[in-house]
Amino acid sequence: MKYENYDTVRIADDLSSFDFVSTGKNGDIPKRIIFMPTHLPEVFILAFGSITDNEEVDDYAISDNGDRNKTLATIAVAVDLYTRCYPDRMIYFRGSTKERTRLYRMAVGINLEELCRTFDIYAEVDQHDDFVPFRKNMEINAFLVKRKVQ
Amino acid sequence: MKKIEQKTTTSWGREITLTVDENLNKLKGRILAPKKLEEANKHLRKMKSLPK
Repeated sequence: MKYENYDTVRIADDLSSFDFVSTGKNGDIPKRIIFMPTHLPEVFILAFGSITDNEEVDDYAISDNGDRNKTLATIAVAVDLYTRCYPDRMIYFRGSTKERTRLYRMAVGINLEELCRTFDIYAEVDQHDDFVPFRKNMEINAFLVKRKVQ
Repeated sequence: MKKIEQKTTTSWGREITLTVDENLNKLKGRILAPKKLEEANKHLRKMKSLPK
């Protein structure tokens, strides 16, 4: 990956949660990445955000902590570690807003070559009822990633 | 005193230290982003099939 990631992370032993501390211009802000099962047994969603008082993930929170790339790289690490442990699980993720989905799209696009060595990357796009292979700069609603069989 | 379970691994060529957190273990199985999950399920139901 082209970006540095947070290198100290707390986890649940089944890797369903990854906690780290975002450190930046607005201080230290606890963040959580989670993987949750969907109604499709092979698909798990990734959610990321600040941690609420009742331990939930608030993916609308705006921290503006100046560490966007480091945070995105940490999410990529979590996906890598999670799918190493559960290679048959596909990971579905989308931003909480169109702007955030666009940010994810750009980050994936910048690292696409490296990511594609490990993952098959698909996109949910308008007017298609199937996932399509992701290409740089395409307008998308969500990602679906599947670890390649090595 | 409970033993702290910690390991160092690499991802994308970088080292990362993972520490198992008992508080996170207690959250296992809980839906920690209910709205996000509901939204994802809604979108996934519209998809005809998954990639093979």
